[in-house]
Amino acid sequence: MTRYAMVMDQRRCIGCQSCTVACRTWNELPMDIIYNPVVTEGVLGEWPNVHRTFTPLICMHCDNPPCTICCPCKASQQDEDGIVWVESEKCMGCKVCVNSCPYGARDVNGHEGFVRKCTFCMDRVREGDQPYCVATCHQKARIFGDLDDPASDVSKLVNSLKTNRIFEELGTDPQVYYIPDLGGVH
Amino acid sequence: MGLMNHAMEPNKLQKHYWIWPIAWYLFLGGLGGATLFVCGLLDIVFGIEYLLAPGALIAVGCLGIGSLLLIFELGQPKVFIRVFLSATAIIKWGACLLILAMGFGFLYFLFWLPPEWNLFWYGWVWLRDVCAALMALFGLCVVVYTGVLLCTMKSKPFWNTPALPVLFTVSALSTATAGLALASLLWGFPWFVEFWFGADAGSEAFLQAVRHDNELVVEIMHLADTILVVGEVIVLLLYVLLMRASGNVTAKSIALEWISGKKALLFWVGMMGCGLIIPFALYLLGGAAAVFVAPVLVLAAGLLLRFLIVYSDKRRAVPGEERYYARMPKGDERFLQSWKAPY
Amino acid sequence: MSESADIHAPGVEVKKSCCYFCHQNCGVLAYVKDGEVLKIEGDPTHPTNQGGLCCRGNIALLHLDHPARINHPIKRVGEKGEGTWEKIPWDTAIAEVAERLNQIKAESGAEAVATAGGTLRTDDWSRRRFMNLFGSPNGFHNALLCWIPTFNVETIVSGWSPFETDLGTSRCVILWGFNPGASAMPGMRGYNDLQKQGLKLIVVDPRYSETAAHANLWLPLRPGSDTALALAMLWVIIYEGLTNNEFVDNWCLGFEELQDHIIDYTPEWASELTWLDPELIREAARMYAQNTPSNIQWGCTADQLGKTSGAGMHARAIMRAITGNLDCPGGDLMPGPSSYYVTDEELEANDWLPEEQKAKQIGSNKFKLTSWPGYQKIADTARATWGKAPTSEWFCEAHGPSVFKAILTGDPYPVRALIISATNPVNSYGDAKMTLEALKQVEFLVTCEYWMTSAALYSDYVFPIAGALERPIIHNNYGVTDSLIASQRAIQPLYERKTDYEFWRLLGLATGQDPEQWPWETLEEAFYYVTWSFNEQGYQFGSYDEFVEKYRFFYPPMHYYKYGANGFCTPSRRVELKSSILEELGYPALPTWIGPAENEEDDPEVAKEYPLVLTTGGGFMPYHHSEEFNIESVRFLSSDPFFTINPEKAKELRIKDGDWCWIETRRGRIRQRANVEPSVDPRVIYAQRGWWFPERQEDTGEEPFGCLESNVNVLTSVDDEHCDPIGGSWANRGLLCKVYKVGYWDETDTSFSIPGSSPEPGVTVPPSEQKLAYEFIPYEPKPTFEVPEGLTWDPESKFAWDLELGLYYDPDSGWLIHPETQVYYDLYSKYAYDATTETLVDEATGQHYHMETREPIIATPTDMVGGEEL
Repeated sequence: MTRYAMVMDQRRCIGCQSCTVACRTWNELPMDIIYNPVVTEGVLGEWPNVHRTFTPLICMHCDNPPCTICCPCKASQQDEDGIVWVESEKCMGCKVCVNSCPYGARDVNGHEGFVRKCTFCMDRVREGDQPYCVATCHQKARIFGDLDDPASDVSKLVNSLKTNRIFEELGTDPQVYYIPDLGGVH
Repeated sequence: MGLMNHAMEPNKLQKHYWIWPIAWYLFLGGLGGATLFVCGLLDIVFGIEYLLAPGALIAVGCLGIGSLLLIFELGQPKVFIRVFLSATAIIKWGACLLILAMGFGFLYFLFWLPPEWNLFWYGWVWLRDVCAALMALFGLCVVVYTGVLLCTMKSKPFWNTPALPVLFTVSALSTATAGLALASLLWGFPWFVEFWFGADAGSEAFLQAVRHDNELVVEIMHLADTILVVGEVIVLLLYVLLMRASGNVTAKSIALEWISGKKALLFWVGMMGCGLIIPFALYLLGGAAAVFVAPVLVLAAGLLLRFLIVYSDKRRAVPGEERYYARMPKGDERFLQSWKAPY
Repeated sequence: MSESADIHAPGVEVKKSCCYFCHQNCGVLAYVKDGEVLKIEGDPTHPTNQGGLCCRGNIALLHLDHPARINHPIKRVGEKGEGTWEKIPWDTAIAEVAERLNQIKAESGAEAVATAGGTLRTDDWSRRRFMNLFGSPNGFHNALLCWIPTFNVETIVSGWSPFETDLGTSRCVILWGFNPGASAMPGMRGYNDLQKQGLKLIVVDPRYSETAAHANLWLPLRPGSDTALALAMLWVIIYEGLTNNEFVDNWCLGFEELQDHIIDYTPEWASELTWLDPELIREAARMYAQNTPSNIQWGCTADQLGKTSGAGMHARAIMRAITGNLDCPGGDLMPGPSSYYVTDEELEANDWLPEEQKAKQIGSNKFKLTSWPGYQKIADTARATWGKAPTSEWFCEAHGPSVFKAILTGDPYPVRALIISATNPVNSYGDAKMTLEALKQVEFLVTCEYWMTSAALYSDYVFPIAGALERPIIHNNYGVTDSLIASQRAIQPLYERKTDYEFWRLLGLATGQDPEQWPWETLEEAFYYVTWSFNEQGYQFGSYDEFVEKYRFFYPPMHYYKYGANGFCTPSRRVELKSSILEELGYPALPTWIGPAENEEDDPEVAKEYPLVLTTGGGFMPYHHSEEFNIESVRFLSSDPFFTINPEKAKELRIKDGDWCWIETRRGRIRQRANVEPSVDPRVIYAQRGWWFPERQEDTGEEPFGCLESNVNVLTSVDDEHCDPIGGSWANRGLLCKVYKVGYWDETDTSFSIPGSSPEPGVTVPPSEQKLAYEFIPYEPKPTFEVPEGLTWDPESKFAWDLELGLYYDPDSGWLIHPETQVYYDLYSKYAYDATTETLVDEATGQHYHMETREPIIATPTDMVGGEEL
């Protein structure tokens, strides 16, 4: 079995937002739809003893996605390999999935009327490529691969490092893992 | 295209994906469902039969309008029929319940068409009872469903509590009783009685009987609503205060918005004051104000509550998201309009 | 999902293009079908980016056909700045421009025509070629703010700028005023990877930058005090004995003098100026000097400190040398010019510029190292070493701000025409108000641009230029390195766009330049000429495109310790810690402290009114300089200008996060929004650079496109006394400022507040009367040998001459030599040496004399055979 997952290495992310723009251009997204914002609380601490963490956000492609079971028209769905996506031809635009996602990973705009979200660049991944945000990341802060393959980088990282997941307590079983930046030198 | 908001809202933490049609729908669905439930109950328990016809009709109308709003709120209204495709989706069950409630409500109503039409099914009383029971059942389901739809969203801290269906149910029943009390006033007009029961219903005795039944209904409704309003005050206060005390920062911040923030005026003066306390006082005082003003206020409060809740849809922010979106453009910036680049 | 474009469809070609939005030139694969680029993505096989592309790179397609791009040559039909244009054909436009330039040349001399360039978005050897053939020395860039002074200072010290850090085996690198985390993404990845392998990162940055966040040692110094830090680190290295003695003894000149010279530059002394703990300075110096091989990575800051810049560059050049890091494995490599391919300098036709025109170069009498006087010395030494010289474009230019001043004042002479290519001087040169005024007033202005900018708006002609994806690109570090990365065009230019090379070629031909001087019709032909000789290295290709497709890169064999064979490329063949060229040009020969442009110590009165220290000019994502402000997808992520202020100071000034505030210096004020976070010292303000508002298209008033409203260059100064006398850099960092909230009235009228301290934008003191930060030290070259009686010492040629006979004295042999015939003459008798007879000959009489006794030899021819007397 294949289970795609992503690891965000926050030790390496420098908040350049290249992934945000890259995703927009590769996927030809409308201006107000962003699949992968890179957020930060800014520099914290007291000068000059300070730190900062960047958190690249993206659809978590949860193992227990709240956004698929709530879809009345089976447009929002999850494939065998874990990729959660929306079939725009089936979507009627009720936005229940948008509201049900705790990560704000889905969006819809008034001009199109159907829900859009990150698909882990299914078209690329199934051609054997990396998702575009992973390919474009200069810092290699994004690592993508098959979690079920013990030889994959994501598998090694997730199983050998202490990683965090966002809002894990909601029971969504998100499949994007964060290697925290603990500050200092690494 | 539907009723969707076309204005750009780059701040995804502030963006409301469900807006006024949904608030109206939740209100109308609650009102209609609860009205069917109350009508069925009155029919079966109190045996006040013929007076409930317009109630059922209004209820079905509310549900119908609510459903239309729901459809036109879709991004792709033309294909709303896809709503039945999935077995797991709550919305699908909601849609089924709406149809069933409307269906049985309408069937029930068919038994109360003017007697002079003398339709052949008038005699099938057992069927009418079955319809009344099912209509009451599905009506109640619709009421509860409006709350459940929102409360299952674990992404929305202010909705994600079992107290929400309770609050919606109490509020819906309260609006239904207020609505029926108002609707009953129609029987005070002879032309209405005549329209409904034909020219021979104009006799003074008949009118008296109608008025008597009607007064009873209004009294029951007033009494019920008085109790429900008190219940709603308790549930609502508990709801907001417990959210205020909860550990979830987002729920807490929204509760604070209600208690002392930008929604405080609407909540305390509009909802609590004009919508619940004043009607309660008016019901106790009785008289014309109780008859004409209190139910209107209760209905308005029901609608206001749905708006307040629907617009309290903030998602819990990932640390840093607030800052990220606070620095986004507002959406009306000149650079967004100047060149009309494809994306 | 890409619904509109299928890159796997049949007929889709993959072109090896590259990103053209900053200097990294990351590899880009362009998927092209029927002349249309469907998609682009980072080239995974490219050594620089390995598939990565940043915000800028990813918007290439949005940039390519943006609705605001200029696609046709346009000619002004209304008043200047009014914004009314008409389309005209290329050849008509070129002919009209050429006619006007020729007219100006005939009336005022070729030097009355100047050209301004921007950052690397062009092939500026072609601009130089045009200017040289036209006869004007007045081409310039922002080069003085970006590496060029550093390159020249390091070159005169150690023979070539040791800029290529050999990081693979390095143990420590100082990132000095360099934030790759926002300006060199691929570099940042490299540093991260190497740090894991033990590379120590020392970051010098007043800001908690993306890079400082990863430092092993971070030195958050007062902006502008870098030179003090460099001198103090030098002190620690020398006085703690951390030098590489072997290298210093064998290869360095002037170490003892240096040692005495810097004795007072202690860490304690620097502590006051830099706000750094002396122990921190010691720690940094030790970490750098004890973890050799180590590197100093150049950062733009070095060239943006104004008058204090030159000494800092010199100090760092010395640090590299005395720690033994020059040209060694893991150290700072000095590639030298390429001996394999045709360098930029060889394409520039510098020989065609007459000496008298070189002398007219504006600013060359003040800022000598980066103009003809200094460059000529560097070039001569380099030619003597390698037969090739560094590029003269960038490295030898007019002083840009002085050209703008000349436009406004006619001092030293009127500059009547300006051709701008790939820059908006209002945003990128100092003192924006003065620069804007110069653009408004220059008699004839031509712009080559992608967009309508505030500079283009005042032009008489605007030419549409081909950008990324539309042109081939060679990346070779401004022509001063020995490697080369080549990229091809993905598509032919859209609409009527042409490359800048074609512009200069057409203009050159139209002004009457010899067509033989412009033999290459396209850039590909020119680049084939550049790369052709690789065919002799075992490569096989018949066209430039074929080279790109088959090879793409050229890396010559790696040679360390190149100086071992012939010494360093300096006049003395040694590393000149005490620089002879600086001395000859009249500058201090050893690094000498001078404070930054404005500082608390030298200008206490100013500091009283402007108590905060401003730093600006640093890159920030997602923009590069003043570019991409009109790409919505980029602007969406950063729609307003922000300056950073420490929360402590913000609280004191009652400034909240997001508030619009004024930042004011003595030159004027601008508005930006407050980013309140503890990423700077409470005494420091960091303001974003480059801001303009291209969406305000119809605002053609006094400040088109809001070009002064949030533009930090309103705050910077280009007064001669603030510029570095050595390299001409002006200061973006370490200026004194104050900050206060924008009030209600200010908010409704932003233009009203621009004037600053001078009532009118422009130049108040004539340039020729403007003093430099320090005066030239008269250079009296002393003979290095005893001058025999009767001979005259000439400091120019450094020889003693017999003026009567035109002979010079060779101190090694003790003979006089004729410079042309190379015949030796006896010092005392002035008789020539006849090698066949080994006697002296009086050329006038033909009489032979005895070598030793100088007595006449009267002998038979046979006596002479043996060369001995009888």
